[in-house]
Amino acid sequence: MALLELNKMCVHYGRIQALSDITLHVEEGEIVSLIGANGAGKTTTMRAVSGIRPLSGGSVVFDGQDISKLRADLRVVRGISQSPEGRGVFPGMTVLENLEMGCYTRKDRAAIAEDFERVFDLFPRLAERKSQVGGTMSGGEQQMVAIGRALMARPRLLLLDEPSMGLAPQFIQQIFRIVKEINEQGTTVLLVEQNAQQALSRAHRGYVLETGRVVKTGTGAELLADPSIKEAYLGVA
Amino acid sequence: MLAQAEDSWIDFNVGLFLDQFWSNTVDGLAYGSIYALIALGYTLVYGVLRLINFAHSEIFITGAFGAYFAMEALGLKPGPTARLGILEIIGFLLLMMAVAMIISGVSAVVLERVAYRPLRKRNAPTLVFLITAVGASFVIQQLFFVSRGANPEPALRLIRPTEVFTVFGARVTNIQLLVFVAALLLLVVADQFINRSRLGRGVRAVAQDPVTATLMGVNRERVIMLTFLIGGVLAGAAAVFYLLQIPQGVVYNGGFLLGIKAFTAAVLGGIGNLRGALLGGLLLGVVENYGQSLLGGEWRDIVAFVLLIVILMFRPTGILGESLGKARV
Repeated sequence: MALLELNKMCVHYGRIQALSDITLHVEEGEIVSLIGANGAGKTTTMRAVSGIRPLSGGSVVFDGQDISKLRADLRVVRGISQSPEGRGVFPGMTVLENLEMGCYTRKDRAAIAEDFERVFDLFPRLAERKSQVGGTMSGGEQQMVAIGRALMARPRLLLLDEPSMGLAPQFIQQIFRIVKEINEQGTTVLLVEQNAQQALSRAHRGYVLETGRVVKTGTGAELLADPSIKEAYLGVA
Repeated sequence: MLAQAEDSWIDFNVGLFLDQFWSNTVDGLAYGSIYALIALGYTLVYGVLRLINFAHSEIFITGAFGAYFAMEALGLKPGPTARLGILEIIGFLLLMMAVAMIISGVSAVVLERVAYRPLRKRNAPTLVFLITAVGASFVIQQLFFVSRGANPEPALRLIRPTEVFTVFGARVTNIQLLVFVAALLLLVVADQFINRSRLGRGVRAVAQDPVTATLMGVNRERVIMLTFLIGGVLAGAAAVFYLLQIPQGVVYNGGFLLGIKAFTAAVLGGIGNLRGALLGGLLLGVVENYGQSLLGGEWRDIVAFVLLIVILMFRPTGILGESLGKARV
């Protein structure tokens, strides 16, 4: 049984249909990448899975249960957490407070302490800057805060929306390495990226979105080798 | 003739201003702490909803009526100050506080449920919220008018003002000291709650980025309810302090000007900023007293609002500026 299943999921913004019949699944332990151009519906898909965008059709099934109508804040309790597009670091909170927001719904103090250590292990930079205010950090550091914060929920499914956006190349490498590491520690990852090369080479499987539809799917390697994808997303003629 | 005409509408009484400087400061701080307590309600709700809850002044007066009737029901009679032992006074005072805080807190939450939440569910534009707020304010005010009439209730005097000590010759009464210290204490508690507790962190998260806050598992509706509750409870406390300080009893429109002043205080300090509400409230209380002694009683409100306009010209975001959205304190 898949951890996450989207069945013919549709989302409308007013009268405009943003997603049409998105069907995909993420197995426990996988990294699955969604790639596509701007406006293809990647972020909308993430928002719908997290519950901050209502469905106009189809369903979201998590761990065998239909959560299509479940409130967004309760989906976090079920085990879905997201590092959103644009990072969404709380600008007036310190790094520590931002991370504490990640475990807002949790009460298991001992496990929370472990997760703080884990996050500081993955991102030593955050440990050095615990009391720095989010709004004053660089883009790369904010991305670390956003991912670390999402991990503080101890999610079963981690949604990462454009973790490489706006980052310097050495940061991009580092972020993707860490995503791989998080996955190897047992967290299932659904990753949205414009950086298709990185996203597909790190992923078990991928889906290609075009104007709100899934147009192609396969393993990361298959998609990387696909000539039409090479041309459209990898900048290779 | 000319000189007399000029004289009759504006006159700087520097001597009186200097004479009364310290007593005006003391009075201003005591009255300003009431502004500050009410201002916090405006600021918190603004921070979370970007809404100016104009009905907040009526939440305040509802608490004042509540405390008043509770006292009456307990046998406190209008007229000269009741002869009570110190323990009885403390008991009455605590009871009054409890009643006013509960009534104001509950009515703030009910107001939110009845007036604002339905609009939020339908994604109403900002203007609709604003008009609803103004409308709710008038409805509550007129309900008190219809049921209690235009005349103030007879004053209930619980504490006889007596001098506790003097500051540069200005007397500080027991009531002023009590009000100032208690208000400050409540504001510190509120500030610590917002900045240190888990729920307070949730409030700040919603103020800074409501969508991301939801992604963290924060229930935005619950946070909104909480901010109305805190604002209401503090307005209830302010209502009791108000009853202690005013010479007459509570009246249906007693919240109106006070509410606008408190709102002014919130903007003055930087709307959305908790410490700004405190600073703005105290500053406004003091400055309008200075204006009153310098220019005469009828200038009190003019001075208050000119102060607001001048400060906003130089610091459009208020003295402490940053909103609850950004403030890190």
